[in-house]
Parts: sequence; structure tokens; C-alpha cells
Amino acid sequence: MLGSRYVLKKIGWAVLTILFVIVLNFFLFRILPGDPARSGVRDPRLTAQAVEAIRVRFGLDKPIINCFQSLNPVEVGDCFVNPMDTQFFIYARNLLQGELGISYHSNRPVADLLLERLWNTVLLVGMGQILSIIIGIVIGVIAAWKVRTSVDYGALIGGLVAWSLPTFWLGIILLMMGSRHFDLPIGGKITPGATYANAWEQVLDVGRHMILPTLTFTIVFVGEYLLIMRSTMVDVLSEDYVLTAKAKGLNNYQILRNHALRNSMLPMVTIIALNLGFTVAGAIQIEAVFSWPGLGQTIFEAVNRRDYPVLQGAFLIIAVAVVFANLIADLLYSYLDPRVRAA
Amino acid sequence: MTLPSLLLPKNDRLPPRGGETMFTKIRSTLAILLVIAIMLAACSGGTGAPAPEAATSAPADSSQPAEPAATEAPAEAASGGQVRIGWGGSPDTLNPGTAILSEAYILFELVYSSMFDLNLDGTFSLDLAESWDVSDDGLVHTFKLRPDFTWHDGQPVTAKDVVFTYNFYGSHEDFPYMPVYTEYFDSVEAPDDQTVVITLTEPIPNIESQLVFMYILPEHIWAEHDTPEGATAFENEQMIGSGPFKLAEYRQGEFVTLEAVKDHPTSPPKVDGVVFQTFDNQDALVQALTTGQVDMVTELPNTAVPTLRNAENVQLVVGAPLAPEVTDIIPNQVSEENCPPEDGVCSGHPALRDLQVRKALAYATDKQKIIDVALLGLGTPGLTLIPDGLGVWYNDTIKDYPFDIDEANRILDEAGYLDSDGDGVREMPDGTSPLTFRIYWPSDSSTAPRIAELLGESWKQVGIDLQPQALDPDALTSVCCPTFDYDIIIWGWGSDPDPGFLLSVHLTDEIPTGNSETGYSNPEFDKLFAQQATELDPAKRKEIVWQMEQILHDDVAYIIPYYAQATQAFRTDRFTGWITDQPKVALEDPTSLTIITPVGN
Repeated sequence: MLGSRYVLKKIGWAVLTILFVIVLNFFLFRILPGDPARSGVRDPRLTAQAVEAIRVRFGLDKPIINCFQSLNPVEVGDCFVNPMDTQFFIYARNLLQGELGISYHSNRPVADLLLERLWNTVLLVGMGQILSIIIGIVIGVIAAWKVRTSVDYGALIGGLVAWSLPTFWLGIILLMMGSRHFDLPIGGKITPGATYANAWEQVLDVGRHMILPTLTFTIVFVGEYLLIMRSTMVDVLSEDYVLTAKAKGLNNYQILRNHALRNSMLPMVTIIALNLGFTVAGAIQIEAVFSWPGLGQTIFEAVNRRDYPVLQGAFLIIAVAVVFANLIADLLYSYLDPRVRAA
Repeated sequence: MTLPSLLLPKNDRLPPRGGETMFTKIRSTLAILLVIAIMLAACSGGTGAPAPEAATSAPADSSQPAEPAATEAPAEAASGGQVRIGWGGSPDTLNPGTAILSEAYILFELVYSSMFDLNLDGTFSLDLAESWDVSDDGLVHTFKLRPDFTWHDGQPVTAKDVVFTYNFYGSHEDFPYMPVYTEYFDSVEAPDDQTVVITLTEPIPNIESQLVFMYILPEHIWAEHDTPEGATAFENEQMIGSGPFKLAEYRQGEFVTLEAVKDHPTSPPKVDGVVFQTFDNQDALVQALTTGQVDMVTELPNTAVPTLRNAENVQLVVGAPLAPEVTDIIPNQVSEENCPPEDGVCSGHPALRDLQVRKALAYATDKQKIIDVALLGLGTPGLTLIPDGLGVWYNDTIKDYPFDIDEANRILDEAGYLDSDGDGVREMPDGTSPLTFRIYWPSDSSTAPRIAELLGESWKQVGIDLQPQALDPDALTSVCCPTFDYDIIIWGWGSDPDPGFLLSVHLTDEIPTGNSETGYSNPEFDKLFAQQATELDPAKRKEIVWQMEQILHDDVAYIIPYYAQATQAFRTDRFTGWITDQPKVALEDPTSLTIITPVGN
């Protein structure tokens, strides 16, 4: 079947991309300057033995890969060591066994540590995306339908303003207003030390903590969706088949739903897929303003600490998310526009 | 009560913890649905905000419908006797062996006991021990433990736990700090359940400052983790200690909840518990205090101080930090013969090896202006590398070089550094290389760029030109020491309660190790260091230490621009009794947290 070959090909490429990312991830961080065994602490009381012991514990004393002892500074090493005794192949083997390693900083398993953060990010970003997509599409369609009226201009200006607002600033402003006038929590995901009588209370508590970050996220992202939806829709509405549909006497809802919307969804699907993938990395700024314990925050900290295992794990998750979102988009295209399948 | 570290990364934030249960996930999924509902309701209602208000505080009380500030979520109702503290960081781990960040040590002080407590005036007092005897030769220290200490799980604290703890810390070489504290331990023994005998290999004058950070661990929990891998892998998430607070809940990177041990034998807290909540953003932290979402904050941006001075129900506390930090301007003084043979590049400007030039730089440094601009006034002028926060060890009799551009110019003229080509920059006495210095600082510092700019302005007036550049801390380490590939660096040290460590960075022996950033070398200083390291009489030791500080000041090994002050703030309408009148400020210390009481009780 034509469809399944197309699907298989796309999946094959996705797997190849992820493999490439796995290799790149390893070398990318090791080209950076800085010694993970000492990073962050310029403390001479870390004795030479302690530093050496830390290196041994995390396998940092081993060569990076055959022929290279280290990559920054570049240091040529023995080419005939057992590959299983080099950092790269140990990393690859562990990954095959599903091991992401131990964080240098907190001595915790990376998988545990990332999973909780990932979930928090998905909760926040997912919520924000859903809201901004729905609101963006709805307003975009309305604006396009009422093109060159005050409704359209209002939506256009509002969308542009929202899109250009600095995220950090908007977050701080909402935080100040929300905490002062509406008694909303300033940071975190739940109230620390709270005891809940039942699960519903906890849900309410998380919900209260989510309001401000989600609102910020929605405002920042809705502009993009709105503007793209509107411009595509304006194009589509000027097509002959829309005129034909009008001539056939279809009502507005039928025209929009059956003729215009599906045809203008293609660029939207692209942009949504791209955004979904990248926003798994967390809306770093929003997480920072609202102290939201998400993935973006974790990555930022791990970079500063040269915490390679955490970085590798996090980048792998992001890569998988981006590739997966694109795969879904590709498959959706073929559903939305059968011509894609032939290409 | 203190944080050991040198240049502890401040404001450090942490990777998360794992182990979320399926239950939480299900509840969180519900939360999504809830929030969707709330949001949609809010959207249809016009403005985004009031809807959740209604959702959380809907009930009966219709007599005062329009007072949103008084409504409280049910989840927050339980915070009566609980002190809510906001901080900018989070512990890296709860394992005292492997912890590095200061936030971890703040928790250890509250949850664990050790042989000594560090008081807010810099002195030590006995904590777990009720008596302490030293043999005449200073080698044998005998501690009698208090009989009434128990672990948070109910078992008694015995001398065996202490012996286990000291051996445990000393035997794991990959612990970052602990093995250093047991360096001079020959043996630790427990002749009976209440007696601990520590025998040293040589007499040391500062055993208090070694023992104060060695938190006593329960052997019945830690013994099974006393293996090379186990000791570092153990996350210690129950954190059973014997201090005035016990751990209730720990969410790395989010919050830590502690519960009061009301029947603690020496310092039973009057509050019910303490919550430390992490804020990744300093503006949010300040906002949390002014809106009353936290009762105290452990650190504040200096920019927030003017606002908080006038804030309602907020009291600001300014003073020396519990673990003072020294900021230093480091001139590269390493001589050719001391240049480390293996790593040394030693590209420092030759003029900086001349004492007269360094003196001129000291005269040309406007410390008060630096304090006013870089710290917004929240600092005291620096004098010697032992900060004023170190109490008796701080030599306040030293006479500083006053800010005097004319004197600086006179010294340079006299020493033969003249501006022979009239470009405004002096040259070496032999007419070669101009006095143009590279000045570096760590890129994560917010104050150093301002200091560099101010130095550039005032040093320019004495014919010295600066080429400023911020460097990544790692890159800075690699040009600093022991490579000595720089002219001037602005950097700093955190400080121990004991002056020994800070003084040691100026030893000739430390030049090749990388601890000495200056390359300073003075045989007399080295000799005095060895003397103070074994001088058991505190008064005599103080004399020697003061003399060493004077030597460093005379030689202008460092220029110390200021001692930064710690700023903390608390809400006056929640708890009273915070200790604010001591030389050091540490509201998060057990000294305050065990005596404060809720307002109105």
C-alpha cells in the first residue's frame, strides 16, 4: 500500500535522526570547556584526591573515545584501548540498556530526575499550547472572515502586540498583579507543606499555581497562531472554490468548516508540530519567573554545572519530542493533503 | 551553624528529584482538566483572573463578599505555626558527605547536631557534648556527650554514632570537604556510650572549626552505606538527625518541609515547623515577602532594599553574613623563579611585581564609591582578606591606604613610571611597555563589572589603563592559577569561621597548587603561618594572625574593596523574636528558628 510505504520511510528517517542526535549529544558537551569534576566550585579544599575520586566515580578518567583522551583541550590518546573502556562506548552501551546515568551534581539517576521535570513541563506547556492554539485558531478565523473590518484590525493589532511582548516582563507583570490583587501563588507547583484533605484539594492547589504561568504562556503564543491562521485563511477565502461554495448557497459555517478550514490547516499543523517539539524544552523564561519545576530550568542549571548526563538525557528527550512531533505532522499532512503522499 | 564553602555557588538551583508516583500523575491529569475548565470559564467571563478566586473561596460567607485578600485556599490553611522561608536555591543533596551547596548546610544545621555550634558572634559553644577536655600536649580531646539526645526515629545518640561518623567522613576520599576536617585525626574511640576520645597526630588550635561541620550521623542507618559506592550514592531522603527540626518532606528544587522536635533537650522550637520554598527569580522572592506568601527571605537583591525599607509589615536586617565572603582585586605578582614549571605561563605585567605600583593602585582605589555604586551602599570598606565577619580574627588596627589620587601619582613618579610619550598612560621606568593591564572577572558576577569600570575611571587618573573582560568561571580558573596568565582579576573567597584557610592562599607552597591566585611569596609570612598553625593559646595565635594580616596589607598582596553585607528580611506580622542584634545575620539559623514565636501567642 502506498500509504504504509510512506509511513515506514518517515519512521525510518525519524529513527536515524535520533541515532544521530545520540552521537552528537555526547560530543557536543565534551567540546565545551570546563571540568565537570570541579565545575561550580572553586574550592581548594577539594583535595586532589577528592577530585580524582570524583573523576573515577563518574568514569571521567577514561579516554573520551579511541585515539582521544579529551576533546577540550584536544589531547590525542591511545588508539588501541578496548572501546568498552572509553566514555563514548560506555555511554552508548548504557543507553542501549536504557540507562541515562547518574547526575554529577546531585548523584541521582538522571532518568528519575528528568521524568518528573518532564511531566511538569508537559503539564504547563501542554495546557498553554492547547489554550493558545484554540484561541488563536478561533480568533484567526473570525478575523479572516471579517477581513478589513474593525474586528480584523483589533485582532491583528492585539496579536502583534501579544506576540512581541517580552515573555519575562509579561510574566513579572502578571505575577505582581496576580499575587497582589487575586492572591494567587507566586511560585512553585504546589503549596509547600500543605496537607490535603482529599485529592480534589490538591488538584485545586495545582490549578491555582498553574493559572499565572499558563496565562503568560497563552498570551505569548496566541499571537503567532492567530496571525498565521488569519493570513492563511484570508488566502483560502479568496479562492474560487469558496466563491463556488457561496454560490451554491452553503451557509457560513459549512463554508468555513468544509472548504476553508481544512485547507488552511496545513501551515498551522507545521507550526504547531514545531512548537510542540521545542516547547518540551520548557518555556525556560516562564519556568524561571514562576519557579516552575520544569525541564527548561533543569537544562539551564545543568549547562552551568557541566552536568553531562543530565544534559545528554534532556537533549535526548527534546530530540525525540521534536522528531516525533514532526513525524506526526508529516503523517497528518498526508491525511490533510493527499498530494503529499505522492511526493 | 554554617556553610563551609569557598565561593559556594550562590543562588544555585537544582535538578529535580525523581520518584513521582502514579497517583500524583493521575491527580495532575485531573488538574489539567480542572485548569482547562477554570480557564474556559474565565475566558467566557471576560477577564482572566477572578474566576479562580470564586472557585477556591466560594462558600457561604456572604457578609463580606468583596474582600479578596482575606480569602485563603484550603491548602494554605495549615500554615499557622509554620515558618515559611523563601530562598533562591535548593540543596544539591541531603547527604552531608557529598553536599556542596550552602542551602544543604542550612538544612544540616537545623536537622543534625554536631559537637559544636557556631554562634552569631563568631564564637563556638558545645552542642551535642556537655564537656570537653584537652590534654596538656593538645593531642587528646575528650568529649562527654549529653545523655538526653535522641535520633528522630527514637533511638538514643551514643558515642558509637560519633565514632562511626568521624571514621565514615574520614574514610571516603571522594567526599568533597569532610576528609579535610579529619586530616589530623589519629584515632577516634568510644570508651563508653557517653565518651568520645579524639587523638590527633599533631596539636591544632582550631578543632572547633573542624568539628562544627561534621554532622553526627546515626550508625544504625548509615552503616550499611559505608561502602565506596554506597556512601556517595545514598540520597539520605529521610535525613534522620538529632537536631531541633526533623525532615517532613523534601522536593528537590521545589521545597523542603521540616517539623519541630518539640521535646528537643537543648533547643526545642516554639514554632510547629519550617518550610523552605525555592524561588528561581529574585523579583518573585521579594514579591512573595511583600504579599505575605513567605514570612522570611534568606537573601535579597540589593536593588530591593530601598523598596523593602518602606514596605508594610516587613523588617529588613542588614549585617555581616554568617559565612562572610571576601571580594578581592588580585594583582599577578608571581616572580620568575616562582613560576610553576609545569603549568605556568606567567604573563603578568612586570610593573605589578613592584610594591610601589601596587601601593599606588591601592591609593587610587575609591572603596566608598565602589560600595555605593556596586553594592548600593550595602557594604563596609574592605581592609584585609580576613573579613570583619570573622570576629576576633579581623585586625581592625590596620591603617588603610586612603583614596588619594595625588599620593598615588607621587608614588609612581618617584618610582620612575613616567608618561614619556604623553598619551596619558605611564610606561615602565625603562620606557618600555605601557602600564596597560588586562583585568578579568567571572562572568556570573553582577558586581565585578561595575567594580572594573570604577577602577578603570580612577586608575586612569594615575596613568594606568585597563582592558576589561569578563570570563566564564572555568576559563577564568584556567588563566588564573597556577598558570598566572593575567594581570588583574576581580574574584573572591568564601570564608571559614577559622582564618587558617584564607591565610594559606598566600603561602609560597600554594603557588604551584593553584590555591594562590596572586603568586605572592614572603618567607616571613610563611614562617608565621607555620607558627599559628600549632599555636594553642588563642591570644597568642590571634597576635600572629594579626601580624600576618598586617604583612599582607603592607605588601598589597590583594586590594580588598569591601566586605559585602547580608540582607535578609522578615514579616513582622507573623513571628516575633528573630535575632537581629548580633554581628552576624542569619535568620535561617537554628538560633533564630528555635526561639521565634507566632505573633499574638
